[in-house]
Amino acid sequence: MSLEEPEPSTELDVGVTDDGLNYDRIEALLGDSVLGRETHVNAEGFVIRPDDVQDVLSTLKTDAGFDLCSCVTAQEYQDRYESIYHLKKYDDPTQEVSVVVPSPRDDPHNQTGSAVYETAAWHEREAYDLVGIEYDEHPDLRRILLPETWQGHPLSLDYNQEKPQIVTLREHANPLQDDMQSPDDPDTMFVNIGPHHPATHGVLHVKTTLDGEQIADIEPDIGYLHRCEEQMCQQGTYRHQIMPYPDRWDYVSAGILNEWAYARAAEDLADIEVPEYAQVIRTMSAELCRIASHALAMGTFGLDVFGDFTAVFQYAFRDREVVQSILEDLTGQRLMFNYLRLGGVAWDLPEPREEFFEKVRDFLDELPGKLEEYHDLVTGNEIFQMRCVDTGVLTPEMVKEYGATGPVARGSGVDYDLRRDDPYGYYDELDWNVVTEDGCDNFSRVLVRLRELEESARIIEQCVDLLEEWPEDDREIQANVPRTLRPDPDREIYRAVEGAKGELGIYIRSDGTDKPARFKIRSPCFSNLHTLAEMSAGEYVPDMIASLGSLDIVLGEVDR
Amino acid sequence: MQSQTPLPDTLANLLGLDPSNPLVLFVMAIVASAVVASGLLALVAVSGIWGKRKITAAFTDRIAVNRHGPAGILIIPADALRLLSKELIIPEGVDRPAWDLGPLVMVFSALAGFAVIPMGSGIQIADPETGLAYVFAMSSVASLGLVMAGYASNNKYSFLGGLRAVAQNLAYEIPLVLTGISVVLFAGTLQMSQIVAAQAETLFSLGPLAIPSWYAFVNPFAFVLFMVANLAEVGRNPFDIPEAPTEIVAGWQTEYSSVYFVLAYLSEFIHIFLGGAIIATIFLGGPAGPGPAALGVVWFLIKIVGVYLFTQWARSAVPRVRIDQLIEIGWKGMLVLSFANLLLTAVIVGVIA
Repeated sequence: MSLEEPEPSTELDVGVTDDGLNYDRIEALLGDSVLGRETHVNAEGFVIRPDDVQDVLSTLKTDAGFDLCSCVTAQEYQDRYESIYHLKKYDDPTQEVSVVVPSPRDDPHNQTGSAVYETAAWHEREAYDLVGIEYDEHPDLRRILLPETWQGHPLSLDYNQEKPQIVTLREHANPLQDDMQSPDDPDTMFVNIGPHHPATHGVLHVKTTLDGEQIADIEPDIGYLHRCEEQMCQQGTYRHQIMPYPDRWDYVSAGILNEWAYARAAEDLADIEVPEYAQVIRTMSAELCRIASHALAMGTFGLDVFGDFTAVFQYAFRDREVVQSILEDLTGQRLMFNYLRLGGVAWDLPEPREEFFEKVRDFLDELPGKLEEYHDLVTGNEIFQMRCVDTGVLTPEMVKEYGATGPVARGSGVDYDLRRDDPYGYYDELDWNVVTEDGCDNFSRVLVRLRELEESARIIEQCVDLLEEWPEDDREIQANVPRTLRPDPDREIYRAVEGAKGELGIYIRSDGTDKPARFKIRSPCFSNLHTLAEMSAGEYVPDMIASLGSLDIVLGEVDR
Repeated sequence: MQSQTPLPDTLANLLGLDPSNPLVLFVMAIVASAVVASGLLALVAVSGIWGKRKITAAFTDRIAVNRHGPAGILIIPADALRLLSKELIIPEGVDRPAWDLGPLVMVFSALAGFAVIPMGSGIQIADPETGLAYVFAMSSVASLGLVMAGYASNNKYSFLGGLRAVAQNLAYEIPLVLTGISVVLFAGTLQMSQIVAAQAETLFSLGPLAIPSWYAFVNPFAFVLFMVANLAEVGRNPFDIPEAPTEIVAGWQTEYSSVYFVLAYLSEFIHIFLGGAIIATIFLGGPAGPGPAALGVVWFLIKIVGVYLFTQWARSAVPRVRIDQLIEIGWKGMLVLSFANLLLTAVIVGVIA
């Protein structure tokens, strides 16, 4: 693939050595900008001045090749505010660096990083909204999750939770009065698509300016499903009280993938080794979740393009149902699995094991036939191709700019999959491929998901083989983890797993207690949704709906 | 095989009245229309409320209604009651007379089209010489209703839906009528009963089986064109763009509730049946079929329901095209093809005659 060819300049490899990054070389590259160094569990952090953000980020991006800004974590300490830019490389996500930007408590101001990474624009809005750091020169620094009338910043230290929020009564105000048209083009029309709309996959509000049937401008308005997930996790103990929450982020059957994100971050933070047997079970159950999630994505995409609850949707649900029942056998739950534990899984496979294996194998045997059916019904359909090929185009450059990951990135030919690139669980022991498509359009994204079903099935099959032959006295499902987990104070970690929708990352800072001091969720849907405006500019309304469907967002994860 | 006497005259004769008396004819025409309209409503009730669910369920691996009476058939009165007892919400700012009249115009246009359809067993209310032109004209009146509904609803989704409906109907009515004209060229008449009669001749014989010269067999190309254009005309997948639930909520129907929604729903189904009736009449030999002529109406209903099944099949299995693609297919594809078909037919008719 031409996109993946190494750049002619070797300077992008600053600090790359055979055994990890040499951070001194990167520090040298940044020169005087570096005020100090912090060591996080996943990477070194460079402390810089608040007015130096753009220089440092653009140096790291253009000269050192850190082209993925995973997320921006903001937090308040007793003496300062801090923004952390978690940077990575699409080519090798194990090469990470954190850019730590402290700013004074009485006047938290930073330069914005959104001029360097487009994706930072939304992450900084969230940081402003929840923590209260102001980003200078930000193109559009407004609240993103909370209503615009909200008083205070809920994750800041002096936030008063008891104080009632006053929302001005605007019952009879016409929200469209002023913005019937875009100011510079009187021929346009403003339409609210959502939050109550058949095709927004939840409570998403897309402020749409239409020029005839074409999109002149759109702005996704999120936050309708914000449930303070980060705050709730900060109030739970590591060992048991946090694990149920991840199921509620991407709640459409991707539960175990989400749980794994928390498990991986917390285990690395507290140095917990997971027994191999548990890793195989995790890998298998996570891939089952991925199949369920992708089947749902395909079904709802069919819903968007076919126009009704038609055969595609029902077929996808019929097949997803089998996976759900397998997961129910395994975890006792169909939706909120709560199956993973720090250091392992909750319990072993259900007895009798043969029956369980047979059920999984039956499903795997039938899957190729079903996929054939999908290809006949969906991807092989000429009208479907007419609708989806070359619509919702997202170039690889845009993918990187917006930090898109998962099938959205892979549908644009960006070969990025944490299961392979930053291996965890049992993935690196198994034989499977990362699926990419070069079309960059809605069709490619659907195709990627369908082909990933096959790869997931391959992984599950190998896991089942392994589990079947696992010696009975070596079936250790849980490492020895202290009942109360208190990681050492001031350890910071950002760890991600490949969720169903992309890179699902967790940032945790410990303060020596049994609860995290800061728990930040990097939601893949959040970053992926940010691309929607770019994808649908100038396209027709139906294409925007299709693009939204092909992004496969879950509002529970976008809003958290 | 075809009764040439229109239904009002037959009724008058049955009652021993003189059909040449205008007043008698007027009353009898009303009675006949009521009979036909009731039959249609019953057909919609069965196939629209109950049949549609069963058909869609069969396509999508489901069971659908099965709790109300045998096979769930009693869902029909239950649903009728439910729909009619709902609150009629009249949104602020709707343009009243137009908003109220929209659904009425649509139902009227669909029902009025049936006046000239020979349904077999002597059921045909009128048989004017311009029958085919009349039926096309009547079914096009629905566009007016769509615009009224879309424009008067004071809702942007309705507005978009109304505009889409007009754009779509313009793009497809012309190929539809042009393809219809090719049949007229064959039959040499616009009169519906004559078109049916012209299809009664035997095209060729397969042993003991005589294949009639239905225009679907004589000119399959025109038949396919007409079927496709008809899908667009009645607004079913892949051409259900004016409603497009996932894009513009419910299009022009968005603001209609309760009894107005029933009217809108009704008009859609009667339109599908009218489309089926036109296809049956001009391509499938009307009420013709094996058995005595008195069974005509049964064969006719089977043909209509066949076309209806086709629309439901398309709805379950085919994605929706985009509005610009639809316009392109209509103006650049279908129109050209229907002109080609017309020319071809003219040449064939000229050579044979």
